[in-house]
Amino acid sequence: MKKLVTALLALAFLGLASAQTLVYGTSGFPSSLDAVDSQDGNSLVVSSQITERLVDFEPGGTDLVPGLATEWSANEDATVWNFVLREGVTFHDGTPFDAEAVKFNIDRWNDPNHPYSGRDQGKTFVPWGWVFGGPIGEGNLIQEVSVVNDHEVQITLTKPAPFLPALFAAIYFQFSSPTAIMENGVAYGTPSVGAVGTGPFKFVEWVEGERIVLERNDDYWGGPAQVEQVVFRGIPEPTARLAELQAGTIDIAVLLSADDLATIENDPNLKAVIPETELNVGYIAMHQATEPLDNPLVRQAIAHAIDRDAIIEAFYGGLGVPAQGFIPSTMFGQPEPWPYDYDPERARELLAEAGYPDGFSVDFWYMPVSRPYYPAPQPIAETIASYLAEVGIEANLQTEDWTTYLADYQTGKFPMYMLGWNADYADPDNFLMTFFGPTAPNDLGWDDAEVRDMLQQARQVADPDVRAALYSEVGNAVAEAVPSIPFAHNRTLNAVRANIDGWIASPLGYSSVSLHSVSKAE
Amino acid sequence: MTAYLLRRVLGLVPVLIGVTLLIFFLTRVIPGDPATAMLGQRAAPNLVQRLRTDLGLDRPLFVNLQKAQETGDWRDFFDSQYFSFMAGLLRFDLGRSIYTLIPITESLRHRFAATFELTLAAMVFAVAIGVPAGVFAATRRGTLADTAMMLLALSGVSFPVFWLAIIMIYVFSVTLGWLPPSGRLSVGLSLEPVTGIYVIDALLRGQGRAALDAARHLVMPALALGSIPLAIVVRMTRSAMLDVLGQDYVRTARSKGLSERRVVRVHALRNALLPVVTVIGLSFGSLLSGALLTETVFSWPGIGRWVYDAIAARDYPVIQGGVLFVAVMFAIVNLLVDMTYALIDPRIQYA
Repeated sequence: MKKLVTALLALAFLGLASAQTLVYGTSGFPSSLDAVDSQDGNSLVVSSQITERLVDFEPGGTDLVPGLATEWSANEDATVWNFVLREGVTFHDGTPFDAEAVKFNIDRWNDPNHPYSGRDQGKTFVPWGWVFGGPIGEGNLIQEVSVVNDHEVQITLTKPAPFLPALFAAIYFQFSSPTAIMENGVAYGTPSVGAVGTGPFKFVEWVEGERIVLERNDDYWGGPAQVEQVVFRGIPEPTARLAELQAGTIDIAVLLSADDLATIENDPNLKAVIPETELNVGYIAMHQATEPLDNPLVRQAIAHAIDRDAIIEAFYGGLGVPAQGFIPSTMFGQPEPWPYDYDPERARELLAEAGYPDGFSVDFWYMPVSRPYYPAPQPIAETIASYLAEVGIEANLQTEDWTTYLADYQTGKFPMYMLGWNADYADPDNFLMTFFGPTAPNDLGWDDAEVRDMLQQARQVADPDVRAALYSEVGNAVAEAVPSIPFAHNRTLNAVRANIDGWIASPLGYSSVSLHSVSKAE
Repeated sequence: MTAYLLRRVLGLVPVLIGVTLLIFFLTRVIPGDPATAMLGQRAAPNLVQRLRTDLGLDRPLFVNLQKAQETGDWRDFFDSQYFSFMAGLLRFDLGRSIYTLIPITESLRHRFAATFELTLAAMVFAVAIGVPAGVFAATRRGTLADTAMMLLALSGVSFPVFWLAIIMIYVFSVTLGWLPPSGRLSVGLSLEPVTGIYVIDALLRGQGRAALDAARHLVMPALALGSIPLAIVVRMTRSAMLDVLGQDYVRTARSKGLSERRVVRVHALRNALLPVVTVIGLSFGSLLSGALLTETVFSWPGIGRWVYDAIAARDYPVIQGGVLFVAVMFAIVNLLVDMTYALIDPRIQYA
């Protein structure tokens, strides 16, 4: 009996484990810890504690700060860049972090024939293509990386890129130990190997689908972290994540459902953590291949018909803001505020002027999955449809499987559709080029060479003021033609136990910056 | 019996080849492929092209007539995605996940053990409660107890598993703090796997604390998952018992003066179990593949969730490996059910 009591008492404290262990509840399981071969937040939040980037964002913000590189500079036309590397840094396996290691990593991502690229065995480096155009010979931005000396590399580009440091700050481009990659080949990044980097935490164990354990790197160049151990647990359901946090079995729960804000605020054991700004945008696109959406008056009418504020008020739990343009409001290059207020009367006038006094009928596709910028796509779509119905436009709601959706929106199959974007790096280019660059004719049926020229130009000038002016001009052109309606920016809701300090949510949608400074009180 | 068994096992071979064909082609009928899924919104044509080549998706699906004609080597005829998959299968190599690059067989071992543990616990719960409850209800036919039991069974089928699971988490974990809300083992405990079934592994290794912890993690998911088969088993047992209790041999047994308890337990139950075993077997098979909701709510790293995520990502090797494995298990369970018949009912002959 006494034994049983002891056992039960021990059990009561099981969930607490050691106070020096930080338990982090993510929304799912990583796909790989080889950062540039993964593309989901659940992977990147783990790997970014182990492996680091050349350039980082200021915690919680979007300004660039030194990472593994301490300084960088470019020639006049921004085609040749020099990065000075942090000295005295070693990877967890003892390999020195130097110019050779940087070259090894970048070449591995950029050169399809690199002996350790592993492409023939299934490594894909998908984000490298997103951000840098593709590997050598297929739209590559990076031509060559050369070693200047132990602590300096020179990167030559195929075309000017004044914002190159921001590209290297994108969360994917984390540097791994060349020794670990050469030894493990295709298994690098999988549960059996994990990752080997320079970061504040070292990889210990990954039990597939259950947990990943990291331990403190006592030799970290920025000084040892506050907690000894970090355990990541994948908990797919937001309700279950909150329950775990309430039960005290995890310390940090990310990406909670906005409805739970009140629950968190009323629980003295919990603290809500909400980023100040969020680099995402949801929008309603109108494809101009379909009549009558090819008529700008009709698109303006639709923009006037929808009460964005009311919808955001209803579905975003107080965390969303109506978008004034396609880039978040904290960013440079802002256009004039969005000119289409909710005005059903004006919408009807415009429709009549366009020759549709009795309205028309259109297929409206909504996303089958929720994303921060559209937390509840179906109800939001239904509400939009009811606003449209008020001015005589009959929107038939449609949806399909997400992968198919993403393939189909570029084919013109959807006359009207919902979609959005989470930024990879904090620069207007990442938003405006994505929406209105070379793919705009496919995505929106909008073929505006002038806008595309301005975007290309903005990519290549170094003067920030000139860039800002170009981006705001693009924004104004978009507002005038309305190929798409910017809908909302949303901030994600995360929460921690009350005894957790120093945790900062990242505005980049990956929910966490480094856990280096996070502490856990007894 | 041996000949019968052999025939049944051999009979599985064409069935399983049929299954591979079905899985292979049905997976590829879904629009989009791993390349479009991985590139998502940023699927620039040159990136899709490169990725499709990297992933081997540009090879023909079934046979490579063109290459065979070009090279004149008939073996090139089979240089296709399907035959590569089959060739791997013969070596028990199911390939790697396109996304994670983790070998499928490695994941399968881990995932299947988790699902098996959960399913087994759910079935044990359903049978241990369901059979006695069904007998109880049948022998008290028409009484209040019978009606109450049937109502309970009906609600078991009607409550959505998801809802039941969330309610349980709130009551037993958040409010009462009795049970862990999700996962398989508490942070801070570790376990070197033997069979992959944690409760058993912990006992085998003499880790009492871990065994108790693993069992505590198992309670709610097993109850949630077991609620539907429980209801089915109760109703099935009840009606089978009622059937049997009206038979002549039961009347004979009673008239011989046997105790009611003996009549019910030995004479009636044994005969009533036949359809119940079928139902248990079929439920077990479907639970193995259908534990998706339970696995999702309780973050249980099983096969259901794994294959579900793979379908969304068009991760062909995982879908193929996972579904094929479940199909094999289903076939084995069916075989076991048939064999159990013989044990319960000696009249059934295998020839």
